[in-house]
Amino acid sequence: MLPILIIFALLAGLAIVALLFFGIEPLSQSRWGRISLLVGIVAVPLLVSAGSLSTGFHQSSRTSFCLSCHEMQRYGMSLFADNRNALSAVHYQNRAVDRDSTCYSCHADYAMFGDAKAKLNGLRHVWVHYFGQVPEKISLYQPYKSANCLHCHEDARRFVEAPPHRPILGSLYDGTTGCFASGCHNVAHDMKAVDEHRLWQAK
Amino acid sequence: MAGEMNVHVRSMRRAAVVGGAGLIVQLAASFYWTPLTFIGSAVVGLPLVGIGALLFLRSAFRIMKERGAL
Repeated sequence: MLPILIIFALLAGLAIVALLFFGIEPLSQSRWGRISLLVGIVAVPLLVSAGSLSTGFHQSSRTSFCLSCHEMQRYGMSLFADNRNALSAVHYQNRAVDRDSTCYSCHADYAMFGDAKAKLNGLRHVWVHYFGQVPEKISLYQPYKSANCLHCHEDARRFVEAPPHRPILGSLYDGTTGCFASGCHNVAHDMKAVDEHRLWQAK
Repeated sequence: MAGEMNVHVRSMRRAAVVGGAGLIVQLAASFYWTPLTFIGSAVVGLPLVGIGALLFLRSAFRIMKERGAL
């Protein structure tokens, strides 16, 4: 989906700059003319650019944005894996996360500066994509933090009351038992199902 | 005096062109957001707008200085 609002804002900003470009000489003769030049050439473009950057940040959290790199397309397919134990597939297929921002829902730290860290990691991906060597098997830079799972599941009834969780809730909360590391939820993306085309599609 | 004014007008025009170029880069990126266009927008478009603003402020500052307003 096109961010129509920011496109209009950028077009308006561009039109203002273009108009002022031709009117600089007469406008610079009067006080109000100079003020309008200051607003039109400095304030408006800076304001519109801030909006554009903010839109860019928002857009870069979309599933389609992540999947625009071919390296990620198999991982995108894994959202449709016919495997009820594959975390990405379960979350996506059951609409446990917003489908428009599926990747970002799990691959972002919910700590302070988590968004910035995720974007910096994204920059690293782009660098590797264009100038580096994409590894055969893509893996996370560091082990997945269960805190990110708990961001949503922490006090969810299904999570708290699940029989396997009950005796270890304390250790899950303090991080000594990890969702992945425990071996209970260790299939994040079922790539085997992707390779074998075992996929699920809503009718 | 008129010659000096022309110099300032030229530098203000240059500022408008640089800032406008930044807006064009950002506009082009916003039609199709991919990692590359996002970086282009943030790393090329945004700084161009900033440079345009700085160029304009520099010439405004010089005009004020010449007129003894500072």
